[in-house]
Amino acid sequence: MTRDRPVSVLDASDLPTVVFGPRSTLWWGVMGIMTIEGMMFAIMAVSYYYLRGTAQMWPPSGVVHPGVGITTLSLAVLLASMAPAYLAARAISREDLRGARNWFAVTVLFGIAALVLRAMVLDRLTFLWNSHAYGSLIWTTAGLHITHIFTGTVENILFVILLHRGPVEDKHLLDARLNSFYWYFVALSWVPFYVIFWLDPALLALRSAALP
Amino acid sequence: MSGHVFSAVQQSALDPAGPQAERIGDVWWLMFWVCAVVMALVTLALLGGLLHARRRRESEAPQPIAPESHRRMTWVVSGALATTAVILLVLLAASVSTGRALGSLTSPDALVIEVIGRQWWWEVRYMDDQPSNILTDANEIHIPVGRPVLIRGTSRDVIHSLWVPNLHGKKDLIPGYVTDTWIQADRPGVFRGQCAEFCGLQHAHMAFLVVAEPPAKFQAWRAAASQPARPPRTPLELRGQQVFLNRQCALCHTVLGTDAGGRIGPDLTHVASRRTLGAGTLPNTRGHLAGWIVDPQSVKPGNRMPQNPMPSEDLLALLAYLESLQ
Amino acid sequence: MSAEPISYPDDDALAEDRRRLEETWKSRPGLLGWISEVGHAKLGKRYVVTAFVFFALGGIEAALMRIQLARPEAGFLDPDLYNQIFTMHGSTMMFLFAVPMMLGLGVYLVPLMIGARNMAFPRLNAFSYFTYLAGGLLLYSFFFLNIGPDAGWFSYVPLAGPDYSPGKRADVWAQLITFTEISGLAVAVNLITTIFKHRAPGMSLNRLPLYVWSMLVTSFMVVFAMPAIMLASLMLAMDRLVDTHFFNPAEGGDAILWQHLFWFFGHPEVYMIFLPATGIVSTLIAVFSRRQTFGYLTLVLSLVATGFIGFGLWVHHMFATGLPQLGQSFFTAASIMIAIPSGAQVFCWLATLWGGKLRFRTPLMYVLGFIFTFVMGGLTGVMLASVPLDLQVHDTFFVVAHFHYVLIGGAVFPLLGGLFYWFPKMTGRMLSEKLGHLSFWLVFLGFNLTFFPQHILGLNGMPRRVYTYPPETGWGDLNLLSSLGAVVLALGVLVYVFNALRSLRSGPIAGDDPWESESLEWATSSPPPPYNFHLIPTVSDRYPLWTRTGDEPVVTGLKSDRREVLVTNTLDAELDHRDTSPGPSFSPFFLAVGVAVTFITSIFTPWGVVIGAVPCFLALLAWFWPRLDQGHTVLKEKKS
Repeated sequence: MTRDRPVSVLDASDLPTVVFGPRSTLWWGVMGIMTIEGMMFAIMAVSYYYLRGTAQMWPPSGVVHPGVGITTLSLAVLLASMAPAYLAARAISREDLRGARNWFAVTVLFGIAALVLRAMVLDRLTFLWNSHAYGSLIWTTAGLHITHIFTGTVENILFVILLHRGPVEDKHLLDARLNSFYWYFVALSWVPFYVIFWLDPALLALRSAALP
Repeated sequence: MSGHVFSAVQQSALDPAGPQAERIGDVWWLMFWVCAVVMALVTLALLGGLLHARRRRESEAPQPIAPESHRRMTWVVSGALATTAVILLVLLAASVSTGRALGSLTSPDALVIEVIGRQWWWEVRYMDDQPSNILTDANEIHIPVGRPVLIRGTSRDVIHSLWVPNLHGKKDLIPGYVTDTWIQADRPGVFRGQCAEFCGLQHAHMAFLVVAEPPAKFQAWRAAASQPARPPRTPLELRGQQVFLNRQCALCHTVLGTDAGGRIGPDLTHVASRRTLGAGTLPNTRGHLAGWIVDPQSVKPGNRMPQNPMPSEDLLALLAYLESLQ
Repeated sequence: MSAEPISYPDDDALAEDRRRLEETWKSRPGLLGWISEVGHAKLGKRYVVTAFVFFALGGIEAALMRIQLARPEAGFLDPDLYNQIFTMHGSTMMFLFAVPMMLGLGVYLVPLMIGARNMAFPRLNAFSYFTYLAGGLLLYSFFFLNIGPDAGWFSYVPLAGPDYSPGKRADVWAQLITFTEISGLAVAVNLITTIFKHRAPGMSLNRLPLYVWSMLVTSFMVVFAMPAIMLASLMLAMDRLVDTHFFNPAEGGDAILWQHLFWFFGHPEVYMIFLPATGIVSTLIAVFSRRQTFGYLTLVLSLVATGFIGFGLWVHHMFATGLPQLGQSFFTAASIMIAIPSGAQVFCWLATLWGGKLRFRTPLMYVLGFIFTFVMGGLTGVMLASVPLDLQVHDTFFVVAHFHYVLIGGAVFPLLGGLFYWFPKMTGRMLSEKLGHLSFWLVFLGFNLTFFPQHILGLNGMPRRVYTYPPETGWGDLNLLSSLGAVVLALGVLVYVFNALRSLRSGPIAGDDPWESESLEWATSSPPPPYNFHLIPTVSDRYPLWTRTGDEPVVTGLKSDRREVLVTNTLDAELDHRDTSPGPSFSPFFLAVGVAVTFITSIFTPWGVVIGAVPCFLALLAWFWPRLDQGHTVLKEKKS
């Protein structure tokens, strides 16, 4: 080893303790989780197309589309929930705790509405997960995503409670912003499946109905 | 006659007996020699490096690599890398062209044989335009020398893999799929094959033989094998047939020309002409046959055939009957 | 980066600061301390020891198989037990030894090598370990209850499906996968974040040690590959438990889908094991040839290229299923071309050795053995990439020989060398060189004696996963030779373990830097204090300890009365902010227990998910329960 005592130093004592975005470590952690879960959703989609490619009939006989209206409404509510989540994050940036709490509460309401609508869609399905491989795919994917909406909503509720009850420290601002960030992922991750499961078959049916 | 069929087992990818295995053998030897040379060069480079380094003193402080030696090393490494790329491209080309050549070894007047993998034996069906002429056999595939054979493989249960190394590489037999593979034997011989995809408890005992014979001999065999079973000729054989039909044997096995029509186990119409028992597990001798009937679970634990304890007179009669099913 | 010559604290102040750091970073004592530990060094060592125990168990299973196969028609193991044992061997070595060992060694080394005090997410790190441990305990508990999985480490359907594997054996396998993959994914995210955010000032990405690069690429591979197998094992478990039909051809499912999902993970898995090993090799070559490793940029690009191409090879495990010709050619090309980055690495290492001043210590011996063995395995790998040749040797002992050359030669040799090298850092004591050399020669010769004959066996038609073979095949002699080799190999490992155990008690004291090494882990004491570095060092070179002049600045100003860590920016590692690192916590353990309850009960009932959700929720609540930290401002709600 060389000298016992360094001759110069970098002083860290003035550095901030709370930062946002890619500067923060937690942002990278949340990105990691989203990448992993995004991979899982992508693999579900690939499996869907794989099984569709090998199937003799797709979807199997007896499968009735749950309805363009309700599936679209369900997605629309989910996408709309990004707005209060965004407003909550913006309120957080201004350290407006009350605003953030209220907007998170609104996000919770949207989340609950999305869950109810999702339940209605599933209720209209004419098959179960054990009916055929198509049913297994739809139910499993929907199940995975509903779990996300559910746990996301529970998280939002916890943030409402935290912001209400306090004490809130500056480090929680980062947590709250990342919570909104994650909620966008939850909402957006259903878009591809809406297209694959509900929109694409509806368009196909429309086209084949128009042809003859 | 114990074991005479096994005395000259042919089961090697390095001893090709047909055009498919021949082509693959060529790729093997090309790759073998190229890789052997590469291996030798790398070993020399490694040993050379060690000898070279031994001459230096070790106590010196670590140094960055000097610029001129860095330049020299860059050239050497780049050269080695370029050589590697060229070698790999050659091997890739050889491999792809062999793949194509294998794909072109087909023929419109091929013999078509359906092979169905079962846990743990092989159902073999010689296809014919007339469904009534389809011949069903088990654990032996007879083919005429010199004629292309199309094997259509599938499975009734789990995934198996058909492999006769002297004739061709593997093809998986997959439930829900039909997989085609072309083989051809250019010389007569008995070639051993074995399941190559793990398929459960007795994967190790799922072998079969490919019997390649001159075309005339093959036709004679096929004609004989297409006949229903020979009726019993002696009282002992007759009693044996009754044992067969009255015990549970007929629930699983078929003997054409009798009431036995079970489809769970191998067809036994001509069981005595087969060379092995239990899918290549034992040579087909009287002693082994008796042991197999009474106690198949100790020979091949877990297979679907139950224990069959029976009085020795019944067993002797049954053996006489089965041995008459030429 | 501007360093200011400032009023540096005097010796007394420095000693007082160190004393407080010691107090702040110490673990709880006793069993509670074991459960609540969040220090990366302790967890990393725990990973290494646990993985080594599983390595030994997998080795015992291998030995049992070699006894059974030594002679034709041997009756040592019945087929049911043999099939469980080869499944346990594969699953143990891949899921409980190789990947956790590599990731766990990373957990130990990466923070030390980059000058960090802990991992980015210390509690997540503890959770990863407990989840991994739970998966291993689950597998072995069920195995000893005779419910060990028996459908192979690849669990092909339909054999592992509900119709052909009744009972719970295949479910145990599926849940083992879930445990280990959750653990692996969590470690990967943790390592990526740690490497991107916690490097010592000045350690820009182009000065990152090659070992850390290898862990970074590996972690990214984990993140993209492991979700596939998690989902596949979920589908398998659901097919078995709630009658879904993902893999059931009768209801529109497909057996080949499983193989695609499995190998999309399974092939990159090989590189997750191999890439960290190349990182170890690059480190050892520099230290023991006393010069910088040649071709830093080439080596980094090779790692990254391998990471990408590694995802384009999976179909070469499925050539025999009869895929379309064009697809096969693509995968052949990718499988052959991955030899280029591997070749580049080997050439760079050889170039470094040439003209180095070699110190023939045990770690270097293992590296030399690695180069020979790995090249051999790589060449047979090129053969396997060729579709026609693969059709012959696929699923035979040729393949067994090939991947043991790649995995033992390519990963275990560097690992044994690496553990030998870092043993003084971990324990403060040196290993015996004599025993080290003895173990190397036994391992190296035993290994080649065991696995070389298996190439020939495969070409002679011997398939894998057979519990016996008839004498007429003529495979007996080579199998006997192989089994004798295994005895020698096992002796070598025993000598290695004996060496370690002996040195733990009575090895010579190592000191900070016994090998005169180059990277930051040797700039602190052996073993390091729980905060790793009193004053965070700064870096201005790829080989900081070899080029240091003593004028390098150090970082001051981190609080010593709470666990404060330095965060730097992603590319250039310039000072960015200070963060508070959590101290000992029981939540990770409880969450791991909750997860274990969930997975183990869901072997038996789908309600397991609901039952397990309760303890998981409570543990998460405890984990994230807001605590007041010193140094953070409490915000008040603004009155409108």
